[in-house]
Amino acid sequence: MNDSVIQVENLVKYYDGRCVLDGIDLAVPRGCIYGLLGRNGAGKTTIIRILLGLEPATRGRTLLLDADSASLPAKTRSRIGCVAEGHNLIQNYKVGRLITLCKDLSLQWSDDSFNHLIQTFRLPTDRRVRDLSMGMRAQLNLSLAMAIDPELLILDDPTLGLDTVARRQFLELAIEVIQKQGRTILFCSHILSDVERIADRIGILAAGKLVVDCPLEQLKDRVKKMRVIFPEAAPANLYLTEIVNQQTQGREMVITVANWNKQKQTILETFMPSSCTEIPMSLEDIFIECTRPSTEPLQVA
Amino acid sequence: MQIRIDNASGRPVYQQIIDQIKRDIALGRLVKDEKLATVRQLAGQLAINPNTIAKAYRQLEQEGIIVTRPGAGAFIANLDSSLSQAVKERVISEELERIVVEAFHMQIDGRTLLEWFNNAVERFNLPPVASGGQAKEGQSDE
Amino acid sequence: MLALIKREIQDHIVYFIGAIVASALLVVVLVEEVFNYDSRNPAVGTTSLGVVLSGIVALGICGMGAAQMYMDKTRRISAFISTLAVSRSRILLARIVAGIVVILILLVPLAVTASILVRIFTPPIPLYSDMIFEIFTATFLLALGGYSIGLQTGWNSSAVTPTLGGLGLTCIFVPLVVVKGFGPEIMVILALFIGASLLRTWHKFSSTSL
Repeated sequence: MNDSVIQVENLVKYYDGRCVLDGIDLAVPRGCIYGLLGRNGAGKTTIIRILLGLEPATRGRTLLLDADSASLPAKTRSRIGCVAEGHNLIQNYKVGRLITLCKDLSLQWSDDSFNHLIQTFRLPTDRRVRDLSMGMRAQLNLSLAMAIDPELLILDDPTLGLDTVARRQFLELAIEVIQKQGRTILFCSHILSDVERIADRIGILAAGKLVVDCPLEQLKDRVKKMRVIFPEAAPANLYLTEIVNQQTQGREMVITVANWNKQKQTILETFMPSSCTEIPMSLEDIFIECTRPSTEPLQVA
Repeated sequence: MQIRIDNASGRPVYQQIIDQIKRDIALGRLVKDEKLATVRQLAGQLAINPNTIAKAYRQLEQEGIIVTRPGAGAFIANLDSSLSQAVKERVISEELERIVVEAFHMQIDGRTLLEWFNNAVERFNLPPVASGGQAKEGQSDE
Repeated sequence: MLALIKREIQDHIVYFIGAIVASALLVVVLVEEVFNYDSRNPAVGTTSLGVVLSGIVALGICGMGAAQMYMDKTRRISAFISTLAVSRSRILLARIVAGIVVILILLVPLAVTASILVRIFTPPIPLYSDMIFEIFTATFLLALGGYSIGLQTGWNSSAVTPTLGGLGLTCIFVPLVVVKGFGPEIMVILALFIGASLLRTWHKFSSTSL
């Protein structure tokens, strides 16, 4: 049974003749926290804008809660909460007026949870949105998104501008949401330790393609970094495919390989290394390796 | 139940949880039949995906360190009887191998390693090993 | 829906107040003109009044349409609102409704005043009572035409271009009115023009990137 809350099918996007997204396929299952990663300009915001129907796709289609992004009905939109890039909101409105507008336009609104969030974040309601700091706008944006008790949360860099405490509050909020039945979160962030904490699945966008799209644990299993020590000088060529990085120093070689499997293990063993230890990689390490511009296209799936 | 997650360490989060629970048990901070925090509680407390916590609990249960009773939650198991000797040997041997390899890479000799080993053993109230290599069976803490 | 209309009115309150003021002024002018009427050729007097009225209204309304779209684009208002539980069509509809309300604020008091005056002065002023209705309808359509030009061009440029467009509209349609009178032919032409223009605006607004 297909219970994908977000579906992206062969999404292609060109901006001024430049290809930003080159055939993206993605399915986010219900109940999942999906962390979308990528360097600046990789296209994360573009994907989110297309998902929300703010931007038309050049080719391919995207579906949110089984509805096409280009024509999301109001009822579907009421089940989706979003925090858009830069937390723009409407700059010259007073915060109070913006809140009233969102409340009036929503199909379900919880005053209790909204006020609770406003108080937790200590947000002023009498200032204009443009007079708030970036962090406060982020918190306001998040509160507005959460107040409608959404089934699906789409967050574009939700912790931008948040201080350490506020970031932790956001993480706790995300966990609170996901513990409820049937909720899904898609978010992108540059703070990989945060993503590592709360994400179930990871997607890494590089060169217009989704080079990684798998559960976090699987990712760590599949990209392996090893310290291999050979009895004599380390061989120059290990005849392994999908080598992300290789550094040799005398007898010792530190090698990072994607999609590690028994076959590669066997190949490595034919060189009869004296020892082979795995070096645990953090998500940050994996991310840096996967987004390194390289001649050989890398895919971990 | 105080668990700290170190983001900088390369060790997977679920592994850190497992390590700390085992450590707490060994140090006597968690005793037999004591109730662990629920997955939900711990997830909210640490701001970590509940699936990660569930995975840690599952593995602990597989190793026989905790038992989950439906409807009641997770409890520290009766450690004397649940693990078979073979499983115990496997788990400990793997850990020992990891330590020895690390020591090798840091160029630490066997004697120093044994000395440090004895210190750790003493701290946790296990009877120390004689440096001649006479192995004594470890006894569970009280 | 009401919330959206309320938002439009609040954001463009200037035009609403302006319309009320202009309407009041025009009513006063109309009443004064009628009371100071002496037996000159009546047809020319009312026609010229109608022409000038149409001109001013078209320009002002044009500006409002442009201002609504321009403010949306620069302040990224629909970019935010479209992520809430509303469709783009509803946002546009609320915008047009607000524009129509302004037009009505301008025209309805005038039409009402004119009808009352006709009722009082019927024998000396040989106005056909349904001539007022014709003038009202044609003026309304003319205003709506100017408004739709404003809407169409406001998204991409400043308020200047659509105002020139409104001027162009006035220059084309007013001579037509003078030649043909406020007849049904004018209304049909205007209605078709408005229909096409609004359709194009709706299509563009629905598919543009916000």
